[in-house]
Amino acid sequence: MESVIENFIFALRNSGVRISMSESIDAMNAVKIVGVDNREILKDSLLATLTKSFNEMELFQECFEKFFSDGSTTDHEKYVPDNFKFESEKIMSPLSQMLLTGNKSDLAVPIREAASAVDITGIRFFTQKGLYINRILTHMGLTELNSDIRRIDGDNDFLSSQIAEKLKEARGALLGDIRDFVEKQFSLYSGLATEEIKEWYLRRIKLTNVERRDFEQLQKIIRKMAKRLNDVHSKRRKSHQRGQLDFKKTFRKNLKYQGYIFDPWWKMKKIDRPEVVVICDVSRSVKTVVRFLLLLIYSLNEVISKIRSFIFCSNLVDVSNIFDNYSLEEALSKMQSGNGLPIQLGSTDYGRTFSNFKDEYLNIITKKTTLIILGDARNNYGHPHAEILKLLYGRSKRLLWLNPEDQLLWGTGDSEMKRYLPYCHLAKECNTLRHLEKFVYDLLTIF
Amino acid sequence: MNEIHNEKFASIETIQKGLRGKGYISSKQIATSLFLSYNLSKPILIEGPAGVGKTELAKTTAALLDLPLIRLQCYEGLDESKAIYEWKYGKQLLYTQMLKEKLNDVVEGAKGLSESIQNLHKYNDIFFSTDFLEPRPILKAIQQKRGAVLLLDEIDKSDDEFEAFLLEILSDFQVSIPEIGTIQAVSKPFVFLTSNNTREMSDALKRRCLHLFIPFPEAKLEREIIRLRIPYISESLMIQLVSFIQQVRELELKKLPSISEVIDWAKVLLLLNSDSLNLDLVKETLNVILKFEVDIELIEEHLYNMIAKAKKEAAL
Repeated sequence: MESVIENFIFALRNSGVRISMSESIDAMNAVKIVGVDNREILKDSLLATLTKSFNEMELFQECFEKFFSDGSTTDHEKYVPDNFKFESEKIMSPLSQMLLTGNKSDLAVPIREAASAVDITGIRFFTQKGLYINRILTHMGLTELNSDIRRIDGDNDFLSSQIAEKLKEARGALLGDIRDFVEKQFSLYSGLATEEIKEWYLRRIKLTNVERRDFEQLQKIIRKMAKRLNDVHSKRRKSHQRGQLDFKKTFRKNLKYQGYIFDPWWKMKKIDRPEVVVICDVSRSVKTVVRFLLLLIYSLNEVISKIRSFIFCSNLVDVSNIFDNYSLEEALSKMQSGNGLPIQLGSTDYGRTFSNFKDEYLNIITKKTTLIILGDARNNYGHPHAEILKLLYGRSKRLLWLNPEDQLLWGTGDSEMKRYLPYCHLAKECNTLRHLEKFVYDLLTIF
Repeated sequence: MNEIHNEKFASIETIQKGLRGKGYISSKQIATSLFLSYNLSKPILIEGPAGVGKTELAKTTAALLDLPLIRLQCYEGLDESKAIYEWKYGKQLLYTQMLKEKLNDVVEGAKGLSESIQNLHKYNDIFFSTDFLEPRPILKAIQQKRGAVLLLDEIDKSDDEFEAFLLEILSDFQVSIPEIGTIQAVSKPFVFLTSNNTREMSDALKRRCLHLFIPFPEAKLEREIIRLRIPYISESLMIQLVSFIQQVRELELKKLPSISEVIDWAKVLLLLNSDSLNLDLVKETLNVILKFEVDIELIEEHLYNMIAKAKKEAAL
């Protein structure tokens, strides 16, 4: 039983439920207590010990049904129909015997045994299916079966050739059953591997080349990234919090206890949470990546408490409240379409944007602020107003520029990147998820 | 855990029967989780929408096992001094004042500062001993000689940091106090945690608990619950009521009606002397089960069909 539970846990992990060692031990203990004769109770017990959220419960239900379903046990159909009577003294291999006399459910067990002997749990890719089918067949004795068929067929009498014919048919049916079985196992054990490969690929692909069907997946990755960054970051802050004993404050605080020191007071190191202002280009030239830039801001919004966000095309619009008040999907579509926002989606104008910013929001840039600009700096040959950027550069703590274009293309055509470059503390090319991740990490830890 | 109560928790069926005897109708899944939790000595984390009887389950279990229920309502800002233990600062101060003269005796005769301190050191931990310890719910629960049912209600309302304090008690049933040492549970308490899922609990906490999700009950179970709670209700009204509520829960509402609200509603209907649902009556009493104006507005257009369907079911 234990190995069955082990395999089940393995399958469950593959379907995306995270299960630790201690939980599997709990599950084993639970099974020991409740026994395995009642399917419902077994299911409830495993459910209680292995899953931890509603989401995981749904995955569990699905996996449990798949894993413990055994369609063949109720299947009394025979490989060779009963009405085919034969009496033959021919010596045959066990598999051939079983095919001739047994029914499908009798063979379900040997199939499973063979499968565990060739370690079916190792299956990862759909290309391996044929390999595993072959291995299982060989393990069950395909070679012997084949030679039986050849030998009997060669006997040249009516009965023998009929037996051989039946055996061939049965072999075909068996192959079908094993294929079904492997198919099922594949869906149990391969889930995660495929996901991992996809994730690996998505992290490296250029954001401009991501296809629509992968959007959802990518969003998930970004979310995960933001959460992990948050974890790392918040831990950092706490480890710095407690400093040395502050004698002055301790004495002052304990004066009321007539000088008895009950309550020591510690010097606190104050670590500033980053204060971030983001300005994001949403024009057509960056249309393909803008979704992910916005996604990044949204994630940052969840991680960093003090963040102001602006988007611009021909003019500048404050969108901080939209990130706060709307769900991710709504916020993104609102910003990409410009619905309900006073934004003009004409030609991009960095110069006007900067002067807008200077006129209305200059006071939010302080010595503590990190200013992040996301855009390709393609200004349609308008006035770049680099002197305003210089002013912002002087006022802010850091000015960072993330450009979705290749560094080689900076300054070509109508790109003003070269003009802005001197006034950035850091300017980076950012067009894959890995770039994003690296950048956010730097932002949270260094700045 | 305590041997005396074992027979009530001997099997899943006896648990189910025992809970029913105390007025709590449980599904098989609930009983199985309780059974495992009791036998594996693991805390049980209960999740589910508001008002499905999460807290009630802990209370009933305490009643069934005849153990004291120690309840800790979690909220934002709850910290270890409110949940686990605190020093009795007042008592410490009072005693130091009263013992001031005695202190002189102790120090008397000692030559020099270092010797006086040496003398004082002999009485080192007097003020930080169990006599000056104020046990809060968690410490109280593990000090109970006969064991206890510890209910950490709405754990999702507490801060992330508070979860960390809980890990020790959840996995080892012990509390570490730096000044005294580790206090082991006299007899392991039966721990319930409830959560409304307003925030995701940490993996470390989840790993230490069995997980139980209590959904809204199915029609059959809900009928049983109402029958048990309001024995004098007529069969046809009850079936109509449950069918209606089950339909309400399928709508996209802001807050779905809970079991306790349904029971209240049934009582209201009985008070108004009605033995079947009708449109006006339902309209007037909707505010018992629905607590948001938008929900009531949303449901009104469906009312006629829903009542008709409920009546049809009762007629069967």
